[in-house]
Amino acid sequence: MKHSTRTEGEFTIVTIEESRMDAAVAPEFKNCIAQLLAGGANRLVLDISSVQFMDSSSLGVLVSLLKMVGNRGDLMIAGAKGIVADLFKLTRMDRVFRMVPDVGSVLGTVAA
Amino acid sequence: MKAMILAAGKGTRVRPITDEVPKPMIPILRKPVMESIIELLRSHGANEIVVNTSHLSSVIENYFRDGSQLGVEIAYSYEGCMTDEGLEGKALGSAGGMKRIQEFSGFFDETFIVLCGDAWIDLDIGEALRRHREKGGLASIILQEAPREEVYKYGVVKLEENQRIVKFQEKPNPAEAVSNLINTGIYIFEPDIFEYIPSGVEYDIGGQLFPALVAAGEEFYGLPMDFQWFDIGSVSGVWAATRMALQGKIHGFQMPGKQVKPGIWTGINVSIDWKQVTMTPPVYIGGSSKIEAGAKITGPCMIGANCVVENGAEVTECLIGDYTRISGMASLDKKLIFGGDCISPDGGVMNVGEAQIRWLVDDMRRMLNPGDLHDMMLFSNMLSFHETIAQEKEVA
Repeated sequence: MKHSTRTEGEFTIVTIEESRMDAAVAPEFKNCIAQLLAGGANRLVLDISSVQFMDSSSLGVLVSLLKMVGNRGDLMIAGAKGIVADLFKLTRMDRVFRMVPDVGSVLGTVAA
Repeated sequence: MKAMILAAGKGTRVRPITDEVPKPMIPILRKPVMESIIELLRSHGANEIVVNTSHLSSVIENYFRDGSQLGVEIAYSYEGCMTDEGLEGKALGSAGGMKRIQEFSGFFDETFIVLCGDAWIDLDIGEALRRHREKGGLASIILQEAPREEVYKYGVVKLEENQRIVKFQEKPNPAEAVSNLINTGIYIFEPDIFEYIPSGVEYDIGGQLFPALVAAGEEFYGLPMDFQWFDIGSVSGVWAATRMALQGKIHGFQMPGKQVKPGIWTGINVSIDWKQVTMTPPVYIGGSSKIEAGAKITGPCMIGANCVVENGAEVTECLIGDYTRISGMASLDKKLIFGGDCISPDGGVMNVGEAQIRWLVDDMRRMLNPGDLHDMMLFSNMLSFHETIAQEKEVA
C-alpha cells in the first residue's frame, strides 16, 4: 500500500497514496499503522483525501485501529470526500471518528 | 391523432438506474413516467401510439403490452437484432426511428405528435395542436423558458416575432445561447417531415433534423407553452421530481396508496408500529413493507414495496427502491437506493456489493453471510461503545 509518513509536532501524519482502500490493501494497511502505534506514535492523522473508494473491510481496519489507540491518543480522519465520506456517514462511523476536512485544519484545531 | 413515444435511448445521464430500467420506465412514486405520458395522450384523444424501443426493450414491452389495459393501442418498433448473446440494441436516433416506422407502414398519415419518454408533463395537447395548425408549419416544437444557467442541457431556439424558428442550438454553453427558450422534447409534425429524414442511417431530431429545417428555411415554429414539465433525464431530475410529487408541488399528480395520516401514504399489507416509529411527512411507503419500532423516517421520503427498515435505522429524504433492507445501524441521508447501488443526487454512486456493506443496505431477500455478520458486529460494538463513552462524559 502506497503511503507516506511525516511528523508535525506531536502528530504523525499518514498520507494514503492509493485511490482504492479495499480488501486487497486492508491487511497491509493494518500492519503498517499498527507498527506506527507500536513505535510510540499515538496522535495519528490519516489523510485519505486521495482515496476515491473505500470498502467495509478497510473501514473495519480503521475501527480496530481506533480500538488499539483507545484512550492513549487520537486517530483522526482527514479529507474524506465523495463516496468515501458517504461510507462513514452510512455506517455512522463519522460519529465515532474525529473527521476533519484536511490535515491543515487538524493541526489548527487541535493546537488551539 | 397518432403519436410516437421515443423510448430507445440508453439514458446514460441516469446511470446506474438505467442499467436495469430504461429511462421511460423510471417511476415517479411508482408510476413509470411513460405511463403518465400515455394517459395524457389518451385524455387528448391520441389512442394510436408507436413506441420505438432498443435498450432494455422487453421491460417496456412487457409492461405496456398492446396498451389495452390503458385504453390505447400500442405497437413497438424495435431497433436492434437478436444475436447468440441475446438482443443487441442498435438505436437509429430519434428521427431515424420515426423514419423506420414510416417506411415500414406509412403509419404517420396525418398530423402527429412525438414525445420523449423522459418527462412528466401535463401539456394541453389539444391547444398545442391548435397552435401548430394556426401557424401552418411542417414542424412545431413545444418550448418552455429555462433559467440561463441550465440551457446547456437542452436544445435552445431563437424565434422571429411570428414564432418561426430562425436558429436552433443543441446544448449550447450559456454564454453562446441565443435565448432561454428550450426544447421540451415534444414535437408536432406533418407527414411531409419525412422528406428531411434520410433513410437507413442514425439521425437525430435535435442534433440534425432541426438544424436542417432551419438551414432549408422551412416553415418551422416554436410554441412556448405554460405547463408542468419535470425532466427525469438525470439522477438529480428523478430526485427532484419525486420530492416535488411528495410535497404536493406537482399539480394533478395522483398519489399512490392511501393517506393514512396527514402527509403519510402507504400501500396495502404494510407492517408499521405507528406508536414507536418516528415519521416526519411527507412519506410514502409501498405495499408489503415493514417499518420496525425505533426506525426514524424523515420526509420527503419514498420507501418502495417489500422493504424492511429495521429498528434504529435513520432514513432522511431518501428514495428507497423495492425489496431493500435497511439495517438498524444505517444512516441514509439524501440517497437513492436502487438495484444494489447507493446513489447521491449529484451522481456519486456506491455499489453496496463492491463496498461490502450488504450488512447495512441490501436486497431484503438475501441472507446475511458470516462475513456480513462479522462486520455488522464490529461496527455495532464500536458504535455502542462510543455512545456509552459519550453518555458517561455527559453525566460527568
